[in-house]
Amino acid sequence: MFFRIIRNDVLKSKVITLTTMIFVAAASMLVSLAAILVVNLSGALDTLMTKAETPHFMQMHSGDIDIARLGAFAEQNPNVDEYQVVEFLGMDGAEIVLGNHSLAGSVQDNGFSIQNEKFDYLLDLNGNIIQVSDGEIYVPVAYMRDNTAKVGDKAVISGEEFVVAGFLRDSTMNSSLSASKRFLVSSNDFAELKNLGSIEYLIEFRLKDFSAIGEFETAYASAGLEANGPTVTYTLFKTMNAVSDGMMIAIILLISALVVAVAFMCIRFTLLAKIEGDTREIGVMKAIGMRIFDIKKIYLVKYASIAAIGSIFGYILSLMFQDVLLENIRLYMGESENSSYANVFGMIGILLVFFAIIVYVNGVLGRFRRISAAEAIRFGASQEKKRSVKGFSLSSNRLFGTNIFLGIKDVLARKKLYATSLAVLVISAFIMIVPQNLYNTISSKNFIQYMGIGNYDLRIQTSEPNKADEIAKTIERDEDVVNYAVMTTKTFKVKSGNGSEENIKVELGDHTAFPIQYAEGRAPSRNDEIALSTINADEMGKKVGDVLTLVIQGKEQNLAITGIYSDVTNGGKTAKAVFADHSANAIWTIVCVALSDESLVASKVSQYSSIFDFAKTSDIDEFVSQTLGSTIDSIEMVSYVSVAIALLIMVLVTLLFMKLLVAKDRYSIAVMKVFGFTNSDITTQYIVRSLFVLFIGITLGTLLANTFGEMLAGMVISSFGATAFHFEVNPLKAYLFSPLLMVCAVLIATIIGTSRAGEIKISEHIKE
Amino acid sequence: MNRIIIGDRIVKTFGEGDEQRNVLNGVSVEINEGEFVSVMGPSGSGKSTLMYALSGIDHVDDGKVLFNGKDLSTVTESELSDLRRTKMGFVFQQPTMLKNLNILDNIILPAMRSNRKNTAKIVAKARTLMKRVGIAELETRDITQVSGGQLQRAGICRALMSSPEILFGDEPTGALNSQSANEIMDIFTEINAEGTAMLLVTHDAKVAARTERILFMRDGQIVNELRLSKYDGLNFDQRIQKVASKMLEIGI
Ligand SMILES: Nc1ncnc2c1ncn2[C@@H]1O[C@H](COP(=O)(O)OP(=O)(O)OP(=O)(O)O)[C@@H](O)[C@H]1O
Ligand SMILES: [Mg+2]
Repeated sequence: MFFRIIRNDVLKSKVITLTTMIFVAAASMLVSLAAILVVNLSGALDTLMTKAETPHFMQMHSGDIDIARLGAFAEQNPNVDEYQVVEFLGMDGAEIVLGNHSLAGSVQDNGFSIQNEKFDYLLDLNGNIIQVSDGEIYVPVAYMRDNTAKVGDKAVISGEEFVVAGFLRDSTMNSSLSASKRFLVSSNDFAELKNLGSIEYLIEFRLKDFSAIGEFETAYASAGLEANGPTVTYTLFKTMNAVSDGMMIAIILLISALVVAVAFMCIRFTLLAKIEGDTREIGVMKAIGMRIFDIKKIYLVKYASIAAIGSIFGYILSLMFQDVLLENIRLYMGESENSSYANVFGMIGILLVFFAIIVYVNGVLGRFRRISAAEAIRFGASQEKKRSVKGFSLSSNRLFGTNIFLGIKDVLARKKLYATSLAVLVISAFIMIVPQNLYNTISSKNFIQYMGIGNYDLRIQTSEPNKADEIAKTIERDEDVVNYAVMTTKTFKVKSGNGSEENIKVELGDHTAFPIQYAEGRAPSRNDEIALSTINADEMGKKVGDVLTLVIQGKEQNLAITGIYSDVTNGGKTAKAVFADHSANAIWTIVCVALSDESLVASKVSQYSSIFDFAKTSDIDEFVSQTLGSTIDSIEMVSYVSVAIALLIMVLVTLLFMKLLVAKDRYSIAVMKVFGFTNSDITTQYIVRSLFVLFIGITLGTLLANTFGEMLAGMVISSFGATAFHFEVNPLKAYLFSPLLMVCAVLIATIIGTSRAGEIKISEHIKE
Repeated sequence: MNRIIIGDRIVKTFGEGDEQRNVLNGVSVEINEGEFVSVMGPSGSGKSTLMYALSGIDHVDDGKVLFNGKDLSTVTESELSDLRRTKMGFVFQQPTMLKNLNILDNIILPAMRSNRKNTAKIVAKARTLMKRVGIAELETRDITQVSGGQLQRAGICRALMSSPEILFGDEPTGALNSQSANEIMDIFTEINAEGTAMLLVTHDAKVAARTERILFMRDGQIVNELRLSKYDGLNFDQRIQKVASKMLEIGI
């Protein structure tokens, strides 16, 4: 008998059942996908970093190197397991031609290495350590991804010919966020290329126990060893490798949470509507002695069936879609060892959703207990005895047309019911607006300020500090330059709390010329002030107002911390100060230049590149688009997909709600029709209800998106090291087009959903 | 005398195939301006169906209905709505009211449909009517907060808002006790005296005795008709007597 009741119920409300099922399926699919991705990503990352034996500590260094001293240090330090110095042969992009693509436009530091002997192996796409023969070259997998090269291409490096033998995964430099890219050649070829570029050293260590890294870093710095370049540790390698897929997972998780919420709202709405409509029957059933549990069981079984079918579909869909989303992880990191239980985790996620639905349905059904048999039989919908809203009556209404009044009145009178659809609309608006604002923000010109880069047009970087003056003089005379600043980065020793010393890179110069965004505080302006990057401040445990002790020209000096800023350059560990210093050797000097006319950038870049052949001149937009480009692209993609998802949710849910409402309101519709209301009057009333709720939904959703959404987006952004994040809103898109799209979607869905409302046979619903 | 409604050999069919049967089997009726007519007959004889057909709420399957000379089958859905709103009034056995609205709002609802500028006039008229039927103090009450008789009076006010040419009542007193039923009939009589035509469907001889012409239905046909004079408050017992003996005669 159960089965018959449920089947009849489902047949009577096909659209409603189907929509609910679709949402359950979508929610399960997303939850399962998120679980599968997380398991795969962490597994693949582990596999890659284990197989490649990624260094625990890597110091990049350019300039002279004392191998013997480093060797002795490694020998003596009890934490060191293995140690090696790797040569990285940096070469100008213009000298590297793959097939018919030149890397001249690349902002990456492209360079060549040989396969390492002890650890930090370069792996092929099957995860094996590459053995390279003479005349062969292996290309970083990123250049496969963007179709720059393919296997078998001819590669010309400074005139020497090679064959692209394959692609390599580099556990330290895979990520587009890492500034360097390693190509692999044989030792013989390396020897031949060696004097065509400049050698940089990667001083690498693996520790017996990674937890001793802090101690080791201090020891390395105190020993005064080579430190002319960025320092990167295992954790940062891991983060950089995980960040772009991690962000995708974060967004999928967010959307799946929201879609689960939508599925719950659908269930809530249908149940509430059902209970409202069935109050009399339920009362009667109670009166004739059926127990609440018997009644509840019918609904529970129904929703369990819907949830079960939806979950199964969702699981199948997630298995179908996982390949697309895993593509990137597979390419960059390879197959994960635990991918076999990824699917199990997906299933666990789905089971969680399933049980949550059952518990939720059970909770909503708790209302049955409150239905009094006597009242239900006498008054029908006893739940809402007090339905009219005081002070808002037709007789005193001068503001709205009657249909508009009736629409609004209905919403106000059945707040509980509409609150559910409001929640869905708020969520949809949120899904629509947040990714859009995020995209708009990170693609905007100002965003680089969050990354520790001021708003200038091009930068000229040299590691020959004595030539910086020459650059500055030339720039000074250039009439197209409106503003420029010279920034010199030097390494200093910083005293930590327990008296030991660590290295810190400090950028000296005028920080007011091209201001960046400070997460807290402000730029340093006096000689005894300094600002720290977020990562540095975190690691040192410093706040704005604290004091930092630096060793400057042999003397300890106390500097007040004036600000903390986000930085994605140089591994995120930087500082900014203005004091003058003549002793320490500059690691590099950057001349930042703003031009009077942005269209000049390209010609200036090539002009300065040829004048200053000892320096690297780059276009900031190009720099940003190459480091962040793939992220920006995927967020743009996500923002379009979310618009589609949000609109789809709105259309489906509105359809569902309208169908339900019309079914519930048959009697009122019949009454109005008898007394001369036309079909279009009725439709107008439903449209008013929808739009009224939508209007509140858009307002709340936009507010929420700009507060809570901004916070969430800030969390995503902080994975780049950027903090203090504020949305840059495109008002036209966010406040005009998006609401318009939503209005259209809801309007169309309402019209379709209520199209049959007028066809109700009056006589059948009025007749005694 | 002008005819408001002419029903000409109306046929109404329900069901499909073997189930199909004529609920109205060629019914012809005429109702004059200001006339007070009632319809009696056993349950299922087609009284309500006839009323829905004559008021254009339901379409007929054969024959035709003329309202003020206009064939209702040629009129669009929205013109029908307009007709119902402006020329006809309806009172049903159960109070057909919107739960959302209070008594006053329910009463003025049809009038407010397109006539928003005159809200003040409409509300004033509603108050006058409410006072007249004795529910003046109930205007802000919810429909669940008043008695069945009071609700029925509110329904009458709503039906009279447009000063209709004809008022249809489908057992308007069916759910009321005899005291309330009497009071309602007093109101109807008064309204009719002011010139509104009436068509009441009823089971109750006391109700029928107030009307000037009674149609008796059986199996989808009008089988008999009783003409009385217009009720002037006198000789009520005699009128009931006549109705009762007619009912006996034709076995209803
Ligand atoms: N929508 C419908 N579908 C099928 N049959 C119907 C429909 N409406 C009415 N009928 C049938 O038509 C017949 C006449 O119905 P109607 O409501 O007109 O009777 P009535 O004379 O008003 O009865 P009562 O005094 O009980 O109100 C009944 O037998 C009824 O079963
Ligand atoms: Mg009837």
